[in-house]
Amino acid sequence: MLKAAVYGKGGIGKSTVTANLAAAFARMGKKVIQIGCDPKADSTINLLHGEGVTPVMNFLREHDREPEKLEEIVKEGFGGVLCIETGGPTPGLGCAGRGIVTTFSLLEELELFEICKPDVVLYDVLGDVVCGGFAAPIRENYASHILIVTSGEKMALYAADNIYNAVKNFADRAYAEVFGLVLNRRNVEREEEKVREFAFSHALEIVADIPRSDEIIHWEDRNRTIVEAAEDSPVSREFFLLAEKLLAAEKKKGEDAK
Amino acid sequence: MKHASRILSVYSSDTAGVASMLYELGGMTVIHDASGCNSTYTTHDEPRWYQMDSMVYISALTENDMILGNDEKLVKDVCRTAKELSPAFIALCASPMPAMTGTDLNAIGEEIREKTLLPVFPIRTNGMDCYLKGASEALLAYLEHFCREDVQKTRELSVNILGATPLDFSVNGTVEAVRKFLMEEGFRVVSCMCKGSSPGEIASAGAAQVNLAVSSCGLAAAEYLWKRFGTPFVAGVPLGIGYAKRLAGELKKAAETGENLYSCLRRHVPDERAKAPVILHEGVFASSLCCALEEDFHTEANVIAPKMLTPFLRKEEDPSPECEDLLAELFAKAGTVFADPFYKAIVPEDVPFVSLPHEAFSGRCFRRENKVLAARKIPDWRKIC
Repeated sequence: MLKAAVYGKGGIGKSTVTANLAAAFARMGKKVIQIGCDPKADSTINLLHGEGVTPVMNFLREHDREPEKLEEIVKEGFGGVLCIETGGPTPGLGCAGRGIVTTFSLLEELELFEICKPDVVLYDVLGDVVCGGFAAPIRENYASHILIVTSGEKMALYAADNIYNAVKNFADRAYAEVFGLVLNRRNVEREEEKVREFAFSHALEIVADIPRSDEIIHWEDRNRTIVEAAEDSPVSREFFLLAEKLLAAEKKKGEDAK
Repeated sequence: MKHASRILSVYSSDTAGVASMLYELGGMTVIHDASGCNSTYTTHDEPRWYQMDSMVYISALTENDMILGNDEKLVKDVCRTAKELSPAFIALCASPMPAMTGTDLNAIGEEIREKTLLPVFPIRTNGMDCYLKGASEALLAYLEHFCREDVQKTRELSVNILGATPLDFSVNGTVEAVRKFLMEEGFRVVSCMCKGSSPGEIASAGAAQVNLAVSSCGLAAAEYLWKRFGTPFVAGVPLGIGYAKRLAGELKKAAETGENLYSCLRRHVPDERAKAPVILHEGVFASSLCCALEEDFHTEANVIAPKMLTPFLRKEEDPSPECEDLLAELFAKAGTVFADPFYKAIVPEDVPFVSLPHEAFSGRCFRRENKVLAARKIPDWRKIC
């Protein structure tokens, strides 16, 4: 089972990348689960054509009990992708990181993986690794590959550096490793050069290069991922290539383990 | 307001369950919690504390450790202490704060294992669940690490007693009475988990022909030993005379047929309209007492089965009140209430009450009146009340 977590600065396009990657895997015939780990709970909205799933935290708040069945917090989206959102606490109150930990332990109790038997699990994580809760998706038995989404903007690279260092701090633990950078272009000055410099200095690979595209925005306005709506677009192609790279890495990992 | 308790106390926590189950096994149990919580544990949850040494520690977690994520401090402290004391293993468990912030005890345990080369097992606790859950997981983790594969089944009839801790059986001689009874019935007792047996005896658990789960915290271990060694299990405590005999027979049959049996659930549920006695205690114990009343007094009784006391075993018909008000309603309708004396405060005065002290609920408060009911005549409560 391939499990990957997508991190990056807020607003950099993590949900766009994750949802398109999920759609690409689904188009390749894979059974996919996407778990949005952001209080905004909008990670899977385009896979669900605008009709979002009830986030786990909302469920707890509304029902004052834990979900008893997966159907209460899982909804099937494009290509059969199973969509889950952790959601978050009442804004300004509670603890969002704890929300992620709680959601993960609930999903474990509900035997999500045993019942759904996914080929691919994608975690779309809020911004930075700010506390233990936001590191939960990269712990042992969760994601094993991390994608960092960045543009050439200074603050996006700054956040990427923070995430990289946080992961490095966990070197003694059996946590996920950074698989590479996803360059989500904003068409800033010397963008490719800056990201390449960053990648080189951190010994990372740029594993996908997503062009700035009005097409993505056009389809997101219509609650669709570009991979669903325009499969043959050059932009979609980038997501398929990234999906293939991840599958190849997972296959190699399995062979090395043998 | 749901789940509110105005009068009642709470049961021992999952962390106390871990410490209790592993107390006699020569390991080091570290509860990741604030300093001061030691006294709660030693005063209320562990009657052996002043008689028998054991390496149970609180990590002395501070607010800053929590805010700053000072996991390394815990790793360092545990490694240093382990070097001084050479425990047989290290068990780690979390109290509410580390559980809330998602401290990764699995990863911390791995670091400690690499540094100390000792078996380390983190046990999933949050300091808020019931002791049964912690004790159950601790026993399972211990067996997974230490149960020997290279053992032959004994030729003679033999048994392990699973899930015996002072939290359910106090230190009043009940566990010893169960052991003696089984021996008199012709069983060799391979081990008693985890009271009164050496780590070596427990390591040979696979040699037993049958297992007896005497509490909810022995059930997961029973299933584990069944899967690993094919050892069948029976669930029940040999209370009274008739039921103890029945249970011994069921154990022998299980050893012969290889079939598992939840013996204590083989009891009748009284008619709803009857003002039957109700029993509130740990699930296997309460059900076994029901069976004993049926066998010895021809009296059918109800087991009150809140989820926390019957996490793994209950009868569908058993009422499962999850708050004090609902519990008080059930008590008010009962013919007699068998429960820990702390419950008396919510039992109406005109309902007869039989004291059934439960160490996990009232600690040492009523230990002196905690009578041994195993394999002996149960006093006729109708004459006492």
